[in-house]
Amino acid sequence: MPMRLRHRRRIPAPPTGLRITSMMDILTVLLLFLLKSFVAEGEVVTPAPGVALPESHSELTPEASLVIAVAGDRISIGDQVVVALDGSVDGGLGEGLDIEPLARHLQQARQQQMHLARSRGEEEQWRGKVTIQGDRNMSFAVLQRVMFTCNQSGFDDVALAVIRG
Amino acid sequence: MARRRGYRELVEADLDIMPLMNLFVVLIPMLLLSAVFVEISTIDMNLPPADSEFSGEDEGLQLSVRMEPDRYVVHGHGIRTRTVDRSGEDAADALTRVLVDIARQHPEEHAVRIESAPAERYQEIVAVMDIGRDAGLASIGLAGLPDSGRSPREAR
Repeated sequence: MPMRLRHRRRIPAPPTGLRITSMMDILTVLLLFLLKSFVAEGEVVTPAPGVALPESHSELTPEASLVIAVAGDRISIGDQVVVALDGSVDGGLGEGLDIEPLARHLQQARQQQMHLARSRGEEEQWRGKVTIQGDRNMSFAVLQRVMFTCNQSGFDDVALAVIRG
Repeated sequence: MARRRGYRELVEADLDIMPLMNLFVVLIPMLLLSAVFVEISTIDMNLPPADSEFSGEDEGLQLSVRMEPDRYVVHGHGIRTRTVDRSGEDAADALTRVLVDIARQHPEEHAVRIESAPAERYQEIVAVMDIGRDAGLASIGLAGLPDSGRSPREAR
């Protein structure tokens, strides 16, 4: 009887290798989620820092264009701050609808884009496209001035960036 | 070499998932870098060319939504002026109903102009644009209210 008991204790020990089944589950779920959110069409637009875009039902895909970001305290093109705003209703931009520093930058951008279009022989097809990334708390007075300046600078195809809500 | 009774050698037959792990380790950072967690779309505003002259546009319905601090005023040529209280929770639904009603009576009309005061918040204007589009008025124009001290500039 004691001999039998000794034999029973010789059952092989369970494998002690790293169990990665649960990690595989997590990675699989993560991979599926990321594949679902992978964007393969249209222009990938990232909101400018400090800008909380408004929500809208619009489903128009953004196109590649010049981006003007209007945050609470500044107007910028790309990474470059063009105008500082003082937080008042008209942003301290004064009475006129034209924002002169913005207009200067837009004129430069227009000349560069026209030069490129000319070198490709597409001067006739060129149309000034601009996307305004405006903060949701921006006043209409500021929006009106930015849109007016875009229009006067030859960028009359204006798109307003929004978060799809 | 008789085997002992009651003892069976266990053979490990686990799937080798290391190649799959390697694939995941490469794929996940790549997808994380290109992932878009906030979906951004756009609202197109076709502005008139800078050298075009502002016309009075006496023809047509000239449908407008005036955003006053406490109400929306919907007016146009040949239609009864209607007001919608802005303070209520169902203000958006009420404005949608009014615009849908007008759009149904004038199926040829697809334009609406939103008149805002200078201090009006951008989010509120975008919300009214959404309501206009939901009502079938796809061509949205923006104008400053005359009491802003300037003549309204249209952006359609």
